[in-house]
Amino acid sequence: MLDTLYPWLKAAHIAAGIAFVGGLLTGSIALATVQSDRFPTPASTAFIEVVRAWDRRVTMPAILLVWALGLTLALQGHWFRSVWLPAKLVIVLALSAWHGVQSGVLRRLAGGASTRGGRGSGAVPFAILAAVLTVVLLAVLKPA
Amino acid sequence: MTSADGPSALRLDLEAAQLRRLEQASLIEATTLVLLVCVAVPLKHLAGLPIGVAVMGPVHGLAFLTYGWVAIQAVAGGGWRRPEAARLLLLAVVPFGGYFNLALIRRKKSELGSALAA
Repeated sequence: MLDTLYPWLKAAHIAAGIAFVGGLLTGSIALATVQSDRFPTPASTAFIEVVRAWDRRVTMPAILLVWALGLTLALQGHWFRSVWLPAKLVIVLALSAWHGVQSGVLRRLAGGASTRGGRGSGAVPFAILAAVLTVVLLAVLKPA
Repeated sequence: MTSADGPSALRLDLEAAQLRRLEQASLIEATTLVLLVCVAVPLKHLAGLPIGVAVMGPVHGLAFLTYGWVAIQAVAGGGWRRPEAARLLLLAVVPFGGYFNLALIRRKKSELGSALAA
Protein backbone atom coordinates (compact mmCIF):
# COMPACT_ATOMS: atom_id res chain seq x y z
CA MET A 1 0.00 0.00 0.00
CA LEU A 2 2.88 2.35 0.80
CA ASP A 3 4.19 1.79 -2.74
CA THR A 4 1.03 3.29 -4.23
CA LEU A 5 1.22 6.17 -1.77
CA TYR A 6 4.89 6.88 -2.58
CA PRO A 7 4.37 9.70 -5.14
CA TRP A 8 1.83 11.37 -2.82
CA LEU A 9 4.12 11.10 0.19
CA LYS A 10 6.99 12.49 -1.88
CA ALA A 11 4.85 15.40 -3.15
CA ALA A 12 3.71 16.20 0.41
CA HIS A 13 7.34 15.97 1.64
CA ILE A 14 8.52 18.43 -1.02
CA ALA A 15 5.61 20.83 -0.34
CA ALA A 16 6.32 20.72 3.41
CA GLY A 17 10.03 21.30 2.67
CA ILE A 18 9.21 24.38 0.61
CA ALA A 19 7.02 25.75 3.46
CA PHE A 20 9.81 25.01 5.96
CA VAL A 21 12.51 26.74 3.91
CA GLY A 22 10.21 29.70 3.18
CA GLY A 23 9.53 30.17 6.89
CA LEU A 24 13.17 29.72 7.81
CA LEU A 25 14.29 32.35 5.28
CA THR A 26 11.52 34.74 6.34
CA GLY A 27 12.54 34.43 9.99
CA SER A 28 16.24 34.92 9.24
CA ILE A 29 15.60 37.99 7.09
CA ALA A 30 13.25 39.42 9.76
CA LEU A 31 15.89 38.94 12.47
CA ALA A 32 18.61 40.50 10.31
CA THR A 33 16.30 43.47 9.67
CA VAL A 34 15.31 44.19 13.27
CA GLN A 35 18.89 43.83 14.44
CA SER A 36 19.98 46.58 12.09
CA ASP A 37 17.08 48.64 13.51
CA ARG A 38 16.78 50.21 16.96
CA PHE A 39 14.49 47.48 18.26
CA PRO A 40 11.91 47.62 19.74
CA THR A 41 9.91 50.20 17.81
CA PRO A 42 6.12 49.84 17.44
CA ALA A 43 6.54 48.93 13.75
CA SER A 44 9.27 46.37 14.31
CA THR A 45 7.39 44.76 17.23
CA ALA A 46 4.29 44.37 15.03
CA PHE A 47 6.47 42.96 12.22
CA ILE A 48 8.05 40.42 14.55
CA GLU A 49 4.61 39.36 15.82
CA VAL A 50 3.44 38.70 12.24
CA VAL A 51 6.57 36.66 11.45
CA ARG A 52 6.21 34.75 14.71
CA ALA A 53 2.55 33.92 14.00
CA TRP A 54 3.54 32.53 10.58
CA ASP A 55 6.33 30.56 12.22
CA ARG A 56 3.92 28.95 14.70
CA ARG A 57 1.07 28.27 12.27
CA VAL A 58 2.95 27.25 9.14
CA THR A 59 6.68 26.67 9.61
CA MET A 60 6.54 24.50 12.74
CA PRO A 61 3.90 22.06 11.37
CA ALA A 62 5.87 22.01 8.10
CA ILE A 63 9.03 20.88 9.92
CA LEU A 64 7.18 18.06 11.66
CA LEU A 65 5.73 16.96 8.31
CA VAL A 66 9.15 17.16 6.61
CA TRP A 67 10.64 14.83 9.23
CA ALA A 68 7.72 12.41 9.48
CA LEU A 69 7.29 12.08 5.70
CA GLY A 70 11.04 12.10 5.02
CA LEU A 71 11.72 9.28 7.49
CA THR A 72 8.80 7.28 6.04
CA LEU A 73 10.16 7.71 2.49
CA ALA A 74 13.70 6.81 3.61
CA LEU A 75 12.53 3.64 5.38
CA GLN A 76 10.42 2.67 2.39
CA GLY A 77 13.27 3.20 -0.07
CA HIS A 78 15.89 1.50 2.19
CA TRP A 79 18.13 4.54 1.71
CA PHE A 80 19.67 4.59 5.17
CA ARG A 81 22.58 2.50 3.82
CA SER A 82 23.41 5.11 1.16
CA VAL A 83 25.89 7.95 1.58
CA TRP A 84 23.70 10.80 0.37
CA LEU A 85 20.85 10.30 2.85
CA PRO A 86 22.91 10.59 6.09
CA ALA A 87 24.65 13.64 4.57
CA LYS A 88 21.26 15.18 3.78
CA LEU A 89 19.97 14.30 7.27
CA VAL A 90 22.87 16.13 8.93
CA ILE A 91 22.12 19.29 6.95
CA VAL A 92 18.35 19.11 7.60
CA LEU A 93 19.06 18.49 11.28
CA ALA A 94 21.26 21.63 11.34
CA LEU A 95 18.53 23.65 9.56
CA SER A 96 15.91 22.37 12.05
CA ALA A 97 18.16 23.26 14.99
CA TRP A 98 18.74 26.71 13.50
CA HIS A 99 14.99 27.13 13.18
CA GLY A 100 14.72 26.30 16.90
CA VAL A 101 17.23 29.06 17.70
CA GLN A 102 15.38 31.55 15.47
CA SER A 103 12.04 30.67 17.12
CA GLY A 104 13.51 31.27 20.57
CA VAL A 105 14.91 34.66 19.54
CA LEU A 106 11.62 35.64 17.85
CA ARG A 107 9.75 34.72 21.05
CA ARG A 108 12.15 36.83 23.12
CA LEU A 109 11.73 39.81 20.78
CA ALA A 110 7.93 39.38 20.73
CA GLY A 111 8.06 39.66 24.52
CA GLY A 112 9.66 43.09 24.17
CA ALA A 113 13.33 42.25 24.77
CA SER A 114 15.80 44.49 22.99
CA THR A 115 18.60 43.27 20.74
CA ARG A 116 22.20 44.24 20.45
CA GLY A 117 24.64 43.57 17.69
CA GLY A 118 24.03 40.43 15.71
CA ARG A 119 27.09 40.83 13.51
CA GLY A 120 26.91 38.54 10.50
CA SER A 121 23.16 37.97 10.80
CA GLY A 122 22.78 39.34 7.26
CA ALA A 123 24.78 36.35 6.01
CA VAL A 124 22.43 33.79 7.61
CA PRO A 125 19.83 33.74 4.77
CA PHE A 126 22.64 33.05 2.28
CA ALA A 127 23.99 30.23 4.44
CA ILE A 128 20.47 28.75 4.61
CA LEU A 129 20.17 28.97 0.81
CA ALA A 130 23.54 27.22 0.37
CA ALA A 131 22.43 24.44 2.73
CA VAL A 132 19.11 24.05 0.89
CA LEU A 133 20.89 23.89 -2.47
CA THR A 134 23.12 21.09 -1.11
CA VAL A 135 20.07 19.19 0.20
CA VAL A 136 18.31 19.45 -3.17
CA LEU A 137 21.43 18.30 -5.06
CA LEU A 138 21.85 15.32 -2.72
CA ALA A 139 18.17 14.34 -3.02
CA VAL A 140 18.06 14.68 -6.81
CA LEU A 141 21.46 13.24 -7.78
CA LYS A 142 21.61 10.63 -4.97
CA PRO A 143 25.41 10.23 -5.21
CA ALA A 144 26.63 6.73 -4.17
CA MET B 1 22.00 39.28 20.15
CA THR B 2 21.29 39.67 23.83
CA SER B 3 18.44 40.86 25.94
CA ALA B 4 19.09 44.12 27.71
CA ASP B 5 15.67 44.66 29.33
CA GLY B 6 14.09 43.22 32.43
CA PRO B 7 11.42 40.65 31.64
CA SER B 8 8.00 42.09 30.73
CA ALA B 9 4.74 40.34 31.73
CA LEU B 10 4.18 39.40 28.07
CA ARG B 11 7.64 37.89 27.85
CA LEU B 12 7.08 35.88 31.03
CA ASP B 13 3.78 34.60 29.60
CA LEU B 14 5.51 33.54 26.37
CA GLU B 15 8.28 31.79 28.32
CA ALA B 16 5.72 30.02 30.53
CA ALA B 17 3.94 28.71 27.41
CA GLN B 18 7.27 27.51 26.00
CA LEU B 19 8.09 25.71 29.27
CA ARG B 20 4.70 23.94 29.14
CA ARG B 21 5.52 22.74 25.60
CA LEU B 22 8.96 21.61 26.77
CA GLU B 23 7.45 19.71 29.71
CA GLN B 24 4.99 17.90 27.40
CA ALA B 25 7.70 17.09 24.85
CA SER B 26 10.02 15.82 27.59
CA LEU B 27 7.32 13.57 29.04
CA ILE B 28 6.50 12.09 25.62
CA GLU B 29 10.19 11.64 24.70
CA ALA B 30 11.02 9.96 28.00
CA THR B 31 7.99 7.65 27.82
CA THR B 32 8.60 6.55 24.22
CA LEU B 33 12.26 5.82 25.07
CA VAL B 34 11.25 3.70 28.07
CA LEU B 35 8.69 1.82 25.94
CA LEU B 36 11.30 1.25 23.24
CA VAL B 37 14.11 0.09 25.55
CA CYS B 38 12.12 -1.73 28.25
CA VAL B 39 9.29 -3.24 26.20
CA ALA B 40 9.95 -3.28 22.45
CA VAL B 41 13.62 -4.35 22.50
CA PRO B 42 13.11 -7.25 25.00
CA LEU B 43 10.07 -8.38 22.97
CA LYS B 44 12.24 -8.50 19.87
CA HIS B 45 15.20 -10.34 21.39
CA LEU B 46 13.47 -12.56 23.96
CA ALA B 47 10.15 -13.31 22.28
CA GLY B 48 11.13 -12.89 18.61
CA LEU B 49 8.52 -10.14 18.06
CA PRO B 50 10.14 -7.31 16.05
CA ILE B 51 6.88 -5.39 15.57
CA GLY B 52 7.40 -3.37 18.77
CA VAL B 53 10.77 -2.04 17.62
CA ALA B 54 9.43 -1.45 14.10
CA VAL B 55 6.69 0.75 15.56
CA MET B 56 8.37 2.34 18.59
CA GLY B 57 11.70 3.04 16.81
CA PRO B 58 10.31 5.66 14.39
CA VAL B 59 7.82 6.96 17.00
CA HIS B 60 10.62 7.57 19.50
CA GLY B 61 12.84 9.01 16.75
CA LEU B 62 10.22 11.60 15.93
CA ALA B 63 9.52 12.28 19.63
CA PHE B 64 13.26 12.79 20.25
CA LEU B 65 13.63 15.17 17.30
CA THR B 66 10.60 17.15 18.46
CA TYR B 67 11.93 17.32 22.01
CA GLY B 68 15.38 18.47 20.85
CA TRP B 69 13.81 21.15 18.69
CA VAL B 70 11.51 22.41 21.50
CA ALA B 71 14.47 22.37 23.93
CA ILE B 72 16.55 24.49 21.52
CA GLN B 73 13.64 26.94 21.18
CA ALA B 74 13.40 27.19 24.98
CA VAL B 75 17.13 27.70 25.53
CA ALA B 76 17.43 30.21 22.65
CA GLY B 77 14.81 32.38 24.40
CA GLY B 78 17.32 32.99 27.20
CA GLY B 79 17.31 32.42 30.96
CA TRP B 80 19.13 29.05 30.90
CA ARG B 81 22.62 28.43 32.24
CA ARG B 82 24.91 26.25 30.12
CA PRO B 83 24.90 23.28 32.52
CA GLU B 84 21.08 23.37 32.52
CA ALA B 85 20.96 23.43 28.72
CA ALA B 86 23.48 20.57 28.52
CA ARG B 87 21.46 18.58 31.06
CA LEU B 88 18.28 19.06 28.98
CA LEU B 89 19.92 17.49 25.95
CA LEU B 90 22.13 14.84 27.60
CA LEU B 91 19.57 13.31 29.98
CA ALA B 92 17.13 12.91 27.08
CA VAL B 93 19.28 10.14 25.56
CA VAL B 94 19.33 8.11 28.80
CA PRO B 95 16.34 5.85 29.57
CA PHE B 96 14.29 7.47 32.39
CA GLY B 97 16.58 10.55 32.11
CA GLY B 98 13.81 12.63 30.60
CA TYR B 99 11.78 12.21 33.80
CA PHE B 100 14.62 13.84 35.75
CA ASN B 101 14.52 16.75 33.30
CA LEU B 102 10.89 17.30 34.27
CA ALA B 103 12.03 18.41 37.73
CA LEU B 104 14.31 21.05 36.19
CA ILE B 105 11.57 22.27 33.84
CA ARG B 106 9.05 22.47 36.70
CA ARG B 107 11.56 24.44 38.79
CA LYS B 108 11.96 26.89 35.89
CA LYS B 109 8.16 27.17 35.66
CA SER B 110 7.87 27.93 39.34
CA GLU B 111 10.63 30.56 39.10
CA LEU B 112 8.70 32.18 36.25
CA GLY B 113 5.50 31.96 38.29
CA SER B 114 7.21 33.81 41.14
CA ALA B 115 8.49 36.46 38.72
CA LEU B 116 4.97 36.89 37.29
CA ALA B 117 3.48 37.22 40.77
CA ALA B 118 6.06 39.82 41.80
